This record gives sequence, structure tokens and C-alpha cells, in this order.
Amino acid sequence: MTVDKQALEPDVEPKADPAAARRRNIAATVGLDRFSGLYVWAALILIFSLWVPSLFDTATNTRIIAGSQAITAMVAMGLIVPVACGAFDLSIGGTVGVAVCIVIWFQANGHGFALGIVVALVAGLLIGLVNSFIVVKLNVNSFIATLGMSSILSAGTYWVTDGSTVSNGISPHFTAIGQNLLWGLPLPVFYMLALGIVLWWLLEYTPVGRYLYSIGGNPQAARLAGIRVGRITTSAFVLSGVVAAFSGVILAAELGSSSPDIGVPYLLPAFSAVFLGATQVFPGRVNVPGTLIAIFLLATGVKGLQLAGAPSYISSLFNGAALIIAVALAARATRRRT
Amino acid sequence: MTPALTVTNMSKSFAGPRVLDSVTLSIEPGEIRALVGENGSGKSTLIKILAGFHVPDDGSAEIDGQPLHLGDGTSSEALGLRFVHQDLGLVDNLDAVDNMALGAGYPSFRGGIRWRQERKRARAALTELGYDFDVRRPVGTLAMSERTALAIARAMAPRHTSAKVLILDEPTANLPAAEAQRLYKLARRVADSGIAVVFVSHHFDEVFELAKSVTVLRDGKHVTTRPVAGLTEDELIELVIGRKLEVVEHDAKAAERKAVVLEITGLGSDVLNDVTFAVHAGEIVGVAGITGSGRDEVAAALFGGRDRAGEAKINGKVVPKNRPDRAMAMGMGLVPAERHANAAFMTSTLRENITVVRPGIHWRGLILRKGAERSDVANWLERLDVRPRKSEFLMSDLSGGNQQKVVLARWLRLEPKVLVLDEPTQGVDVGAKSDIHKLVDEAAAQGTAVLVASTDHEELVRLCHRVLILRRGRIADEVSGGRMDHDLITAATIGRDQADAT
Repeated sequence: MTVDKQALEPDVEPKADPAAARRRNIAATVGLDRFSGLYVWAALILIFSLWVPSLFDTATNTRIIAGSQAITAMVAMGLIVPVACGAFDLSIGGTVGVAVCIVIWFQANGHGFALGIVVALVAGLLIGLVNSFIVVKLNVNSFIATLGMSSILSAGTYWVTDGSTVSNGISPHFTAIGQNLLWGLPLPVFYMLALGIVLWWLLEYTPVGRYLYSIGGNPQAARLAGIRVGRITTSAFVLSGVVAAFSGVILAAELGSSSPDIGVPYLLPAFSAVFLGATQVFPGRVNVPGTLIAIFLLATGVKGLQLAGAPSYISSLFNGAALIIAVALAARATRRRT
Repeated sequence: MTPALTVTNMSKSFAGPRVLDSVTLSIEPGEIRALVGENGSGKSTLIKILAGFHVPDDGSAEIDGQPLHLGDGTSSEALGLRFVHQDLGLVDNLDAVDNMALGAGYPSFRGGIRWRQERKRARAALTELGYDFDVRRPVGTLAMSERTALAIARAMAPRHTSAKVLILDEPTANLPAAEAQRLYKLARRVADSGIAVVFVSHHFDEVFELAKSVTVLRDGKHVTTRPVAGLTEDELIELVIGRKLEVVEHDAKAAERKAVVLEITGLGSDVLNDVTFAVHAGEIVGVAGITGSGRDEVAAALFGGRDRAGEAKINGKVVPKNRPDRAMAMGMGLVPAERHANAAFMTSTLRENITVVRPGIHWRGLILRKGAERSDVANWLERLDVRPRKSEFLMSDLSGGNQQKVVLARWLRLEPKVLVLDEPTQGVDVGAKSDIHKLVDEAAAQGTAVLVASTDHEELVRLCHRVLILRRGRIADEVSGGRMDHDLITAATIGRDQADAT
């Protein structure tokens, strides 16, 4: 994207005026178009380091940001998959909550945590299957289907937990999964990186990834190119369900307890990050590295403002504003590409 | 008697040649007039001017002696001009009563709609046209002739002024033969009540059956208006295409008959009815037909893009219906019509657009090898002379002709046994068009069985060994060898169909 099309290819009709093209090229060489998030992130770190050096600029703070965002990042990366094929999955927050409840319930009732983990992941898979059945077979808009599912899952967690927090009988081996450190960073950061590599590989280096983006780009053309749109969409929902359930298991291990509606707050930041991420790295397309950049950019901003004395509701404000701005930017990026 | 409608010296051009050139005509009350001409002859422009949609450069029109304010839709409405456009303008998920109210409103509305009264009114209007169906059913569930009747009932419904002229734009384009007959009766009934009826049509059989007189437009000019009585079909075709229909002998493509590859038996769809044919290896077979003939349904029905009845076989093996993936796996490729909607991924690269069918070719060691993919794609871009020849450019960066080449490359890359092309050069410039034709020839030379559905009859002559002519969903004729000629194909597609006359 850094080459000048007109110079190399005299047969192309010039599409934009040369001055604008030149400006874009300068921006492109320093990566402003594709990696603007990294610049903003660096700027945020610099600003807060100067503003609140004693609190912000510490190893502890880095660890807190990295650890607290690992769950959000995993939920967001799972969400990329259905969004890539043009479907929304609003039930991921609910699925996180269900998974937390299941692993904790199994331990509180004297079963091993390993069985709990397996059951939680299977629950995520089943939620994905039900979502995709409603969307693909019953032809319900994915937004509506998964919004309904989200509410049903929330009801389910209340039913299982009786609306109370459960924290008895939790195995220390289980909490170790979420709380131990490796090279000074909490383990969930490494789960996040591993999951990121797997999903990045799936989306960029497998035929399935190609199919997902094709369906998202033009479902009718995808069908007429011999892609099994229904089947691929189903796998996308199943994958986001399983990833959300996995994130829930790790969250339960971090917290060592469960409470109803614990997962719902993860929904909005995940969406913000996915759409903000679509303006990064591969502009106009939801992608894994872009999403990770977006997560940590948002987290750094929120944490910095909190340390500088902003009230705690700043986090909701920041995420909401970021979502709107991100989608507007993504729409702009797509327009420029078409 | 004052004519119901007169048009005097009407002219219109859209930045270029005149699409309507000093057209003058007049129609008596109660007369049924057919308006005929090839695509681009100016029929729709004339109708759109009367509807107030376009402002003419010159000319005037009168309805029942009253001058029409041109360029003002409310004026034609107020003077009693009524239109039924080709798409009928109905809202499918509303019922007949609500559709009747579109435009005219609910006459019973006084602080609330009196539904019983409205239903009664709608039923009465339809009964008058000889139709009786549940006015509470969503319009989308009605038969096409019932919908057409509803659109006509709506057009005829009393407004501030009574209807004087009813203009029907290709009212039978989407109607099966039996339903077309009901429409003819309906049109006669309207005319008998003293209203002038103008209908645009490509079906010459209905011109002869229904119209009292016919007006022919060609290249924006009024050619003739004459009574239908005493006119033969050949004469009318001659008037429409502007030259004598003669069969020119020329070097037809010699078809060397090899084994049958594609076998279609009893193909049916919304319009298609019991279509049976076969395509041999290396053969290019064309499909021609006017709107509503089913021409536009053949390709998608074969590939599985739309539901179908009947059986398709490739080398003797049955291709399951509604399964594009299976059709592809069995060696069929489809270049669909309307590239933007059906084929192009505008925000993806040329590479992704080409390898979207079977990207797995470059899947080795659990990785999609992008280097190999790029050189594969670069090779195809060069073979098809796609410009710019850059695999990482976006589809949206290309001109229409180059986009179409990319879509073609997608399928040529798989070396299909059967290649189905639907309007392959739609919106494509002349140079790319001839390139595409060469590529199709090459594919056939390598043994691919090719089926081309096209409204471009020159294209069919250029490409095909033989051309199947569809009329009203059936194969009505086949043109091949020395008989192959643009005018002849055109004449065959609009020709009177004895077999269908009921």
C-alpha cells in the first residue's frame, strides 16, 4: 500500500488528485494509516508518565493493565470471528458469565475443577450452536438473536447461583491458573497471546479465514463462489462461544468466585476494541493485531485517567466514546478503500 | 371527439444524442394502443416525461384537451393520467387495502381509518376488474396477475379527477401465458369504459391480440402509427429493427461434436418450464430471450443460486440443486450477472477475489502460502491482461471490464468442465469485451462446455455454436450455423409463439 499506483501503472485512471495521494503516501511510509493506534498508545504512555509518574510509570501498573485486560482481549478476539463474516454476537458477555458460574458451581458442589472446565467449554459450544441455529436456520438477524440469547443466559446464571456470590470450595490449583505469574506477568496474558496467535493464524493463513472475510464482504457472492455460508457462519458462532467460555474459565480462576452478571461488562469493551481494531493494521477489516492494539490503547487511557484522579465511571465513558469514534473511523476507512 | 392524449414534438436528450426526437402521437378515448420498439428506442423516456419524472427539452402534451404541465407529477395525476409501472410499485408485506392507499390515502379517514369500509372499497374495485381474492392477504403472497390487477385497480381508483388514460409499462413481462390472458380481458374492460389504454410491450403476439393500433419508436423517432389490422408480424419486426430481416450466410462456428458434458432435463423455476437441452464438450451454447422469458434464471438455477425443478447432470452425474458448493466441486463454474451484487468482493484484493474459490490449493504445512498464491494470481492477471496487474490492489480500484476479467479468472483457474456465463460482458467496455470473448473461446477449445445467457445478441452470434431461444419459460426455437444472425435472434425472441397461444 505504500507504492504510488499511478506512477507504476500508467493505464490506471487517476482516482484522486495527486496532492492528496502524496499526502497519503507520506502518512503511509511512517505507518500513520495502518498503525496510528501504536502512535496514540505511545503518546498516552508518555503523557501519563509525565502527568502521574509515581503511579503510572511502574512495573506493578504495567502488570495490572496487562492482567486486567487479558480477559477482555480474549473475549474480543473470539468476537472477531463472527464479525468477520458479518454477524454480531452479543451473547459473549452472557457466555462468559455462564462459564464462570459453571466452573465455580462444580467446585462448590464438590466436583473437580477439571470437569467444570470441560462442562463450561461445552456450554460455550452449545450456546454458539443455538445462536447459529437461530441465525442461519431461522433467519433471525444476528443482532436480535444474540441479544435475546444474552438475556436468557443472564437469567440462567441467576437461576444457578440464586443471585448470590459463590466462593467456597475453590481449589487453589484452579486459582493458580489465573493468578500465578510467569516472567513477572500474570498467566492470563500468555493465554491471551496464545489465543491471539491461533486466531490470527485462522483468519490470515487458513482457507476458513478467507471464507469468513468473503462472507462478510458479500454473502451472496460468497454463496455463488461455492462457499457454504451457513456452515461457516455456524462455526464462527461456535468459535466465539467457546472462546468466551474459555475466557470465563480464566476469569473465574482470577477471581476465585462467581457472581451473576459478572460477564456482561465485558461485552461493550470487546465490541469497542474489535471495531477500533478494524481501523488498524488491515484497515477496513476486523483483525487480531488491530484488536489487541485497541484493547491496550483503551486500557492505558482509562487507567491513566483513573490514576490521575478521574472517577471510576470514566471507564464506561471512555469505552462508549471509543466505540462510537471507532465505528465512525472504520466506516471512513472502508469508504476510502472502496 | 377530443383525443384522450396528444403528444406534440416531444424531444429529450441526456448529455448527448437525442433519446427522443420530435415525437408526435395522439390516442382516442377507449383505444388500446401498443407502444413498441427496441431497448433504447425512447419508450420509457416518453412515459417518464408524461409521468413528470423527466423534463423534456421541447414539446407539449394534452390530456383530453387540457395542457399538461411537463415536469410536474401532480399535473398528470390531476388531469387523469394513470400509470402502472413494470415493477408495479406494490409493497409486498402490506395487504391490498394498504397498497390501494399508497399515493391516494385512505378515503374513509376521519380521525381514524374505517377498515371495513376500506376493505369493501378495495373488493369492489377488484371485482370491477374481474378479480376476487382476499384483500387482507399480504400482496407478496398473491399471484402475479392478481398483483397486476391490484396495481391497475389502484391506478383506476377515483381521485379528484377520473382516469382518462391508463399507461401500462410491460404489464405482462412477468406473467405466465394463462395469466397474461386475464390481463388482456382486464385491459379491454378498462378500454370499454372509455379510457385510453397505452401499453408498452415486447411480446408481439399480445400486440396483435390486444391492441387496436400500434406506435413504433426507433432511435427516439416516431416511425409509424397504424392500425394493427392488416399488419403482419414480419412487417412489424421490420418496422422495429429498421431493416429488412434477411438471413445472412456467414462462416458459422463449426461445431465439432464431442461427448455430452452437461445434460439438463425438465429444468423449471418461477418462469422456466420443462427446459431440456445438452451441451457438448468444447461447445458454446447461447440462451436468448426477452425479459420474463426465463433467460435470466437459467444460469443461477443450474448452479444452485436459485431453486429449481428438474435435473442437471455433468458427465452423467447428477448435480444436486441449491448447492453451489457441490456444483463447483463437480466441475461447474458460474460467472453471474450483476457483478457487484453477485460476484465481486469490492473491499478485498484481486488475489482474494480470484482464490476465493478453492484457496486450499496453496494450503501446505497448515499455512496458506501467500507467496505461491500471489504468483498463481499474477499469472492469471497476466493471462487475462487485467490492468493494473497488481494482485494486492483492491477490486474497487479496477474498472468494470477488469473486474469482470477477475471474476472470469476465478473460474478459469479451476479449469471447469462446465462454465456458465450470465451476461458476461454487462457494463464492460469494448476492449475488455473482446478479450473476454477470446478467453471464452479458448476455454471451449480446451474442452469446456460453455453456456452463455445474454441479452446482447451480437455477443451470442460472436460466441456461440448455437443459440436456444426462450419464450415464456420454454425453449421455443434454436438458431445455429448459417442462420445465426443478430436480427434473427432478436426476431425469434419476440416472435409470435403459436404453441403458447391459448
